[in-house]
Amino acid sequence: MAQSEQVGIIGKGIVIKGNLTGGGDLVIEGRVEGQIALKNHLTIESTGNVQADIEADELTINGEASGNIDASSKVAINASAKVAGDIKAPRVVIEDGAVFNGSIEMEVKLPEDV
Amino acid sequence: MEREAEHMANTVIGSSIVIDGEISGEEDLVVQGTVKGKISLKESLFVEGSGIVEADIQTQNVEVAGKVTGNINASQKVELKSDCRVVGDIRAPRILIADGASFKGNVDMDAKGR
Repeated sequence: MAQSEQVGIIGKGIVIKGNLTGGGDLVIEGRVEGQIALKNHLTIESTGNVQADIEADELTINGEASGNIDASSKVAINASAKVAGDIKAPRVVIEDGAVFNGSIEMEVKLPEDV
Repeated sequence: MEREAEHMANTVIGSSIVIDGEISGEEDLVVQGTVKGKISLKESLFVEGSGIVEADIQTQNVEVAGKVTGNINASQKVELKSDCRVVGDIRAPRILIADGASFKGNVDMDAKGR
């Protein structure tokens, strides 16, 4: 049901304080403070500034983010990003040039019979 | 002109997104999802057919095709399209209510500027 056309965009001039939840993809170019819980892909563009605990399937950061991140598939911190907080995700990519402070926990799936 | 503004709007709260909190900003906002709390904008707010807003609204223009519960305070114009459902008080110099719209609340058109 959640088609790719269901993309939400928080533009540059917008500030959101509070909880943001949803099933679609979301692109943040503005400012969000509070909490974000998404079922799909969250992108923080280079103009974006997020001060929130983030829960998402996949997270791409080009801008600034502070808060704890919990992604069910992947976190990508690109070269222009500044990130502070703890990250929990099975796959984490940090590009050359990115600034990151915090801890990373990649869930390593152990075989059940070990 | 209004139509164009709708297409050019930077910020879109997609239909599967729920925001609980405060949104403020200086650009147009299109709501296809759910917003609870407070919205204050310097530009226009468009609540589309799928949009549900339970918030006090303070903007320049408001166009409602969806559901709004809360007080609306616009510095220019409020337009209630057909099939919208609005409960709350409206205060604006220009208020348009289309045939088929359902509205419950007080209307206050400031006499100044006429």
